[in-house]
Amino acid sequence: MIQRLLIANRGEIAVRIARACAELGIESVAVFSEADALAPHVLAADRAVPLGASPAIESYLSIPKILAAARSVGADAVHPGYGFLSESAALASACEESGVTFVGPPSNVMARMGSKIEARRLVQSADVPVVPGETPDDQSNEGVGRAIDRLGFPALIKASAGGGGKGMRRVRDGRDLVAQIESARREAHAAFGNGTLYVERLLDAPHHIEIQVCADHAGRAVHLFERECSVQRRHQKVIEESPSPNLTEGLRRRMVAAALRIVEASAYRNVGTIEFLVDPPQQGHDAAFYFLEMNTRLQVEHPVTELVTGVDLVSAQLRVASGETVPWRQIELSQRGHAIEARVYAEDPANGFLPQAGRLILYHEPHMPGVRVDSGVTQGTEVGVHYDPLLAKVIAHGENRGQAIARLVHALRAFPILGIRSNVPLLLAILEHPLFATGRMHTRSLDAELPALLDRLSAAPPPFVQEAVRKATMRGSEASSSMSAGWDPWRTLSGWRP
Amino acid sequence: MAHTVRVATVNAPGVVVTDAGNGAYLVQHEGRLEVVFVAGSADARWAFWNGHVYRMSGDDRSPEGQHQDVASTGHAVRGGIQALTSPMPATVVKVLVRPGLKVKGGDQLIVLEAMKMELPLRAPGNATVTAVHCREGELVQPEMVLVELE
Repeated sequence: MIQRLLIANRGEIAVRIARACAELGIESVAVFSEADALAPHVLAADRAVPLGASPAIESYLSIPKILAAARSVGADAVHPGYGFLSESAALASACEESGVTFVGPPSNVMARMGSKIEARRLVQSADVPVVPGETPDDQSNEGVGRAIDRLGFPALIKASAGGGGKGMRRVRDGRDLVAQIESARREAHAAFGNGTLYVERLLDAPHHIEIQVCADHAGRAVHLFERECSVQRRHQKVIEESPSPNLTEGLRRRMVAAALRIVEASAYRNVGTIEFLVDPPQQGHDAAFYFLEMNTRLQVEHPVTELVTGVDLVSAQLRVASGETVPWRQIELSQRGHAIEARVYAEDPANGFLPQAGRLILYHEPHMPGVRVDSGVTQGTEVGVHYDPLLAKVIAHGENRGQAIARLVHALRAFPILGIRSNVPLLLAILEHPLFATGRMHTRSLDAELPALLDRLSAAPPPFVQEAVRKATMRGSEASSSMSAGWDPWRTLSGWRP
Repeated sequence: MAHTVRVATVNAPGVVVTDAGNGAYLVQHEGRLEVVFVAGSADARWAFWNGHVYRMSGDDRSPEGQHQDVASTGHAVRGGIQALTSPMPATVVKVLVRPGLKVKGGDQLIVLEAMKMELPLRAPGNATVTAVHCREGELVQPEMVLVELE
């Protein structure tokens, strides 16, 4: 078993991984940038190593710094989390070369599945359909433009190197095309250190449904069913759930079989996710599914699967990376009840989803039956501009979809986050929208409904809320000054290093 | 979720408010109990009730945050000159204009980046660029004037 694990990440996922380490008796090592010296993920770990300046490129995205940190503490394994270097075959291969276990698939498998061209070729050879698209050989603006012409409009420009909506642009026609290409390239470069672009045909109203898989060194593989992640804002997942309300048992069987064929064909190891776009059945047509991409890492939305199947995916990652077999047999796995996750972001939906920076002056996480909160912040945390604005994930589990929704709504209504704006009010508006109740939202539904949803958020505070504020204001200078004074010691400690 | 209200002028009869500690206030009204969370200082007071978030101030500033594009968040007008400011701490990734250039409403002037997302700063209307106060790669702060238009 791994003895000492370096967690090459921050935020909620680093906290999550440290927790799994504690349960398995593995010593966890956090890394942190200047901005994160006192962050929850540092407090959750057994040791911590500073990486340097706050920009990700100088800290969490620096392979030399991550490796040096691992060496300095004698870590025998590195967990990359998601985002940052999690899909960097270069980090995996550097770990392999220095004799450190990389918690994930071998670097050559990552490189193959991370390259959209090779992944598509491999997937097609495994008899799994793909959405028409290509990575243009000619990456100039003109070359990418010609590739889009070949596919026809509407088309999608994406970063070849990663997901998460970063570097992604939808182009409906030729207007502003060069600006869109350049902007996608810059964003891809900033997020993944690689500006290579990929273009594909845009499906009309697809559902995003992905299959969770896990495979061990002997090639034994299982699937852990699906997650539906169709509630997206500009390709950024917002709400995810399992089971999917849009899969028949027959379609589910075909999709998990396809996923396992991909695992076998790619010699995939450890935990991974195969993303599909699903065209629901229409008159005269069966439902069709297309391979979208494989995520060779843990996903943000993994808790949805954990709650529905009752397994611990991070623990499984660590055990498989240590050379153990997959901890469960396929026949032992089933979907029990329904789970839904809402991603809580520091952003202002009413103001163009502008990321919000500032101090969380009041932050109380909800605690209630059937609700799990994975977070990387706490009251007093200074949310900065350098990293992804995800604050927390609230995941509700219920006997059925209706109960899961009710629990998630109840939890978000009891989740005050004050000091900066968050998307909690918008999440509630989505969860209570009749369209969400039908389970039929596709990947473009949210963008279409957004103006109406935002209008619903503009109600004025009821008089009794104003009365509570008046009472708080009368307590006045005393209350507010003690509040700010309470945080001052933290401010002065911000340059401190353990 | 984005409202400015005058808190000092409100006085609701039949409402009893009790400080429950840790920013929570227990409100009794019409036979019901509500919990309202309040935090912040006089110039930026925040309240949370039942999933709704309100940001308030004691003065008469205009309501903030109503469906603005990033484009229009940061412009202040002084006479015929419009000063475009950064809406938040961000890095300038691209400066698309120079002084003397005529721009149309909606044109991208500056591309900022914060939290790995690009934020275009657009012209609020037809104008001429009179000054550019930032360069690519620079870290800019909120309220900093980046471009002036006339």
